[in-house]
Amino acid sequence: MSAVLGAATGAATVATRNVIARIAREEWRALFRDRAAVAGIALLTVLMLVAALTAHEHRRAADAERARYQAQANHEFEAQPDRHPHRMVHYGHFVFRPVNPLAAFDPGIDGFTGNTLFLEGHRQNSANFGDVRQTSLLLRFGQLTPAFVLQVLAPLLLVFFGHAAVARERESGTLRVLLAQGVRSRQLVLGKLLALGGFAGLALLPALAALVWFALDGHAPWPLAVALAAGYTGWLLLWVLGVVLVSMCVARGRDALLVLLTAWAVIVILLPRWVPDMANHAVALPTRFEDAIHVQREYLALGDSHNPNDPAFAAFRDRLLKQYGVTRIEDLPVNFKGLVGMEGERKSSELFDRYAAAAFDRQERQGEIIDAFGWASPALALRRLSMAAAGTDLASYRSFLEQGERYRYALIQGLNRIQVERLAYADDIDRNKDNRVSRDHWREFPEFQYEAAPVATTLRRVAPAAGVLALWLAALGTLAWVLAGRLGRIAR
Amino acid sequence: MNWLAHEMRLVLRSRLSACALLLLLLLSALAVWSGMREVERQRQTIARLAPLHEQDVAALAARYPDSKDAGNPAYYTFYNTWDPPSAAAFLALGLRDVAPYVLRIRALGLQAQLYEGETFNPEVALPGRFDFAFVLIYLAPLFAIALLHDLVSGERQTGRLRLLLAMPDAGRLWRRRAGLRYALLFLCLAVPACVGAALSGTGIVATGIVLAVTAACLAFWTGLSLLVATLHWRSVTNATVLMGAWAVLTLVLPALANVALIRAIPVHQGVDLMLAQRQVVHGAWELPREETMRKFVASHPEWKDHTAVPRRFHWKWYFAFHQVGDESVAGAARDYRGGLLARQAWTGRLGWLLPGVGAQAVLHRLAGTDLPAQLAYQDAIAAFHRQIRTFYYPYLFNDRPFGTADFARQPGFVPRVPDGMPGRDGLAALLALFVLAGAVQLAGLWRLGRLRM
Repeated sequence: MSAVLGAATGAATVATRNVIARIAREEWRALFRDRAAVAGIALLTVLMLVAALTAHEHRRAADAERARYQAQANHEFEAQPDRHPHRMVHYGHFVFRPVNPLAAFDPGIDGFTGNTLFLEGHRQNSANFGDVRQTSLLLRFGQLTPAFVLQVLAPLLLVFFGHAAVARERESGTLRVLLAQGVRSRQLVLGKLLALGGFAGLALLPALAALVWFALDGHAPWPLAVALAAGYTGWLLLWVLGVVLVSMCVARGRDALLVLLTAWAVIVILLPRWVPDMANHAVALPTRFEDAIHVQREYLALGDSHNPNDPAFAAFRDRLLKQYGVTRIEDLPVNFKGLVGMEGERKSSELFDRYAAAAFDRQERQGEIIDAFGWASPALALRRLSMAAAGTDLASYRSFLEQGERYRYALIQGLNRIQVERLAYADDIDRNKDNRVSRDHWREFPEFQYEAAPVATTLRRVAPAAGVLALWLAALGTLAWVLAGRLGRIAR
Repeated sequence: MNWLAHEMRLVLRSRLSACALLLLLLLSALAVWSGMREVERQRQTIARLAPLHEQDVAALAARYPDSKDAGNPAYYTFYNTWDPPSAAAFLALGLRDVAPYVLRIRALGLQAQLYEGETFNPEVALPGRFDFAFVLIYLAPLFAIALLHDLVSGERQTGRLRLLLAMPDAGRLWRRRAGLRYALLFLCLAVPACVGAALSGTGIVATGIVLAVTAACLAFWTGLSLLVATLHWRSVTNATVLMGAWAVLTLVLPALANVALIRAIPVHQGVDLMLAQRQVVHGAWELPREETMRKFVASHPEWKDHTAVPRRFHWKWYFAFHQVGDESVAGAARDYRGGLLARQAWTGRLGWLLPGVGAQAVLHRLAGTDLPAQLAYQDAIAAFHRQIRTFYYPYLFNDRPFGTADFARQPGFVPRVPDGMPGRDGLAALLALFVLAGAVQLAGLWRLGRLRM
């Protein structure tokens, strides 16, 4: 008995599958009879390839250039002559931000941030020479990258060629015929979804190929490449669902097109500009100018670390004297002037870090406001996912600056330590004496190595945005399922 | 005027058209308001910094009431410079969100200070600002397309086309319809812009040019919409083609051009010049001081009799080698600027072909928020830096003491005043925009007049 029933259900499933496949096939045939659709997908493919090639080339060139500059800066640092270590503290060092391998897919904020950081004693500098101040306003039209093509242009293509999927059947009266012939409305919608999904897959294919290429060539971690692929697949799926949904609910294809184009303009063009603008007003950022004045005020209150007699360092001196059991700083076995320098650097670095962290925290609060609007425009969620996975978001930029700062601190304190250990205090305070240490010391410092965030951390950052996209997918999917069941009735 | 009322009723009766126009009005008003708010904020920031700076200088004057020389005051005194937004800046905020409009400098080497960045959130800057220029360049074309793409095909699909074409002088009817829609779109953009201009005190000429750019932009897109609308296609095809054209002209081609421009004119001298300047400045400690002083007086002959430097540290030598460091990279700095200006020039030329880029070039030039404006601010800073240096030199080279009273004699920054004129490049871009838009508009109107069934 149950065997018979099972066979019957099996046959029914096969029949259902056949109907859906046939509808999808018919829709595909219609799509590819439309020369515009073929031209559209061809154009998108060409654009994607051009974007991938140029973005890859740009990334490679930028990375090579920065590596070259880094090598030059390292060499110049090591090649400095014998001199007083504090001269080296002021000579400082340069570090350059390497380009993330997946930046070729989505350069994110790379063009908007400086990538050259000058490290010196007593100061935290800004990263300078970002593209945005060097390329006229053309950059603001968008960068031609695979991410841009998928984020902005691919949905437009789906809107153009999918808006009539169901509406056409209704307008020409074939919808009623199909339903009368026993095709279930859900089968019809599934077929249309399948066809448009296939079309989206075609649009996605070159992007996925590019992603594989970047991952192989740039040695990007595979989980991140997969996250990007999944994110963009979800994004296009979202549009497939949305397009078919609107096409189902609206009486005429023309209206479906208008509704969808409006939705596209609002979701992809308008909100991604307007929401950040709002966030920027909601959380004000102080100018570097103000911060510098406030920092300098507090810095001066810390005392002058160049002056071993500065009263601000009296307690430090007393502690030190007690520690070594001597009464005069001249009797200390170490160079007191260098120690004051180290103590001053420690205090001032804490101060700088506090201001830098406050500035970044404010920017992250702005980011949280923008992310909250992911519910209104999934484009924002997608952008977050894409930039985070590609390592081109604010968090990874912050990480570069913080690593640069840690390197600066270690370097400066290392130089101060040389002063403490290699120069006698009596010599050091004699302004007429030329105090120098061997240049060999400069070579002892390790080179700056930028560490990308661990994959697990990045994936955790990606997760909330992926969740928003998944919820959007689930909501639209459910809506499509429910409305598809009533297709015969709605908007007759 | 009867026809006007009648056509107006037709436009407004279509709920979609009325909604679209209202939305455009709302968006442009929002953009103008948001731009004005941002400009106001920048003004307030500049105003807030002046007293802060004065306190800073007063504290310094208290710390160094009587210096034997000007060395310490010269080393520690920062000067504030600022670039006030122009009266038209609210229309197109341009680079003002990523480039500093306030910068502190001191008498040390300028090249190490000039390229300092501003604190900004790159994720906010990435998509660009929501200002009038954005509404005009990106959004207004979409509204023009929505209103005009089915001008003819809509009538055909409802079966009225034959009747309309049979009327005497049918061409005039089409022109009236298109003209009315054009005028309504123009009003939706122009009214908020004019209100904003009046409130901001934008000059008549500048306002006139903004209106002209708006008119030209709309003329291009209505003209293109008419050209497509007169082809014998369905409304849906028209919309698809027009949107495709919009995507290519405002998104794809500028992005492609940007790639080409970055590749054709590489600008990496910025980093080179910074590295080179550092080498010279810090290398000076190892050089014989006479050599540095010789280089210094080569460009400052007035001090040639004061170059003797004692064996121990002397501030005049210190400031001299900073200046020599700047001079050693003067050529590289010129090249760097040249590269930036070349990119700007090619962007301008691109504007002759792409209406969006052209409109952007004119608006941002007018608003004084583009790359040349940023370079002009840097020039103003450089000139001020020269003033600061020459203020201190007599104290340093003549070993004159620097007292509290001398703090009050320090030079003050005088900001450049944008003239609100588009300049020669802007005028050329405007002219090109007019020619392009006019040609497309005329072609569209001409096709309308020759419309057959």
